[in-house]
Amino acid sequence: MSTPRFALPQGRSRALGALGAAALVGVAATVWLGLFVTPPDQFMGNLVRLLYIHPPMAWVAFLAYGIASLASLLYLWPRTRAEHFDRLAGASAEVGVVFTGLTLVSGSIWGRPTWGAWWVWDPLLTTTALLFVLYLGYLALRRVPGEFHVRARRSAIGALIAFVDVPIVYFSVEWWRSLHQAPTVLNPTTHKTYVHGSMAWTLLLGFVSFTLVYIWLMAHRYRLGKLEDLEDTEGLGAALAERRAEGEAA
Amino acid sequence: MNGYVEAGYVVVLGTLGTYGVTLVVRERAARRRVGQAVSSGPVAGGSDPPEAGVPAAGSARAGGGEETGPGSLP
Repeated sequence: MSTPRFALPQGRSRALGALGAAALVGVAATVWLGLFVTPPDQFMGNLVRLLYIHPPMAWVAFLAYGIASLASLLYLWPRTRAEHFDRLAGASAEVGVVFTGLTLVSGSIWGRPTWGAWWVWDPLLTTTALLFVLYLGYLALRRVPGEFHVRARRSAIGALIAFVDVPIVYFSVEWWRSLHQAPTVLNPTTHKTYVHGSMAWTLLLGFVSFTLVYIWLMAHRYRLGKLEDLEDTEGLGAALAERRAEGEAA
Repeated sequence: MNGYVEAGYVVVLGTLGTYGVTLVVRERAARRRVGQAVSSGPVAGGSDPPEAGVPAAGSARAGGGEETGPGSLP
């Protein structure tokens, strides 16, 4: 009787299911409050409703890249080096790229009626686009064939290099003359928040809800990565067994 | 409402929903493939014991809290 030597990632996790449900409820509430409950803005009118999803997208992208960098650092540190940190970095960065893409697209949709253009070469927009390309490059780097620890090490270094752009994106509105408005929440210059009442609560709910969405997506991407690694290992094991059988037959 | 606002919400929610569903479907398919391989493959069901000093295939990658890094990879 064969006993599997593989520890498959758990198929169903109650915690992950509860997290997914909470994220779904949170996003639904954000959409309902953002579209139907909060008032239009004095200057932007109904376009302000896009800001309940656009800043949370950017925040989650930063968070995802932060986690990817931390995991990469832990992989590079000899005492904490473990495969799961490499896998976590890859999973978090991939989700981060999705959120960065959505940041750019939702910002562009907001910019067209506000600035009169889908895209302007503003410092914040340009550095965000660069961030998107840098992490796409990181994901491509992860796919370059090679021995596992060599590939993981160069990926980790790539993730840390790409992360340098994150503070540049955040402070670009201060460092250069920008068309983009400065952060509405916890402005780095004034340390004030320029949104209040139901608008503030809806924005806060957006931040929390999309953070939960990030965790849920990242957990699933991590599990998928683990299964893909198992498949690779299984393929390697099968090939070794085949070669061994060939050797015995000869 | 504003067409731009609706477009923004549709793009964001649609993309995240599609990405989430894709991940779950890929994860299920991968689990099925790995499960089949484990139950019928030569490594899982083989009679050869692991060689001394060499971890069982997948033990380092499979994890379960036992991931030890690249040094222990087969």
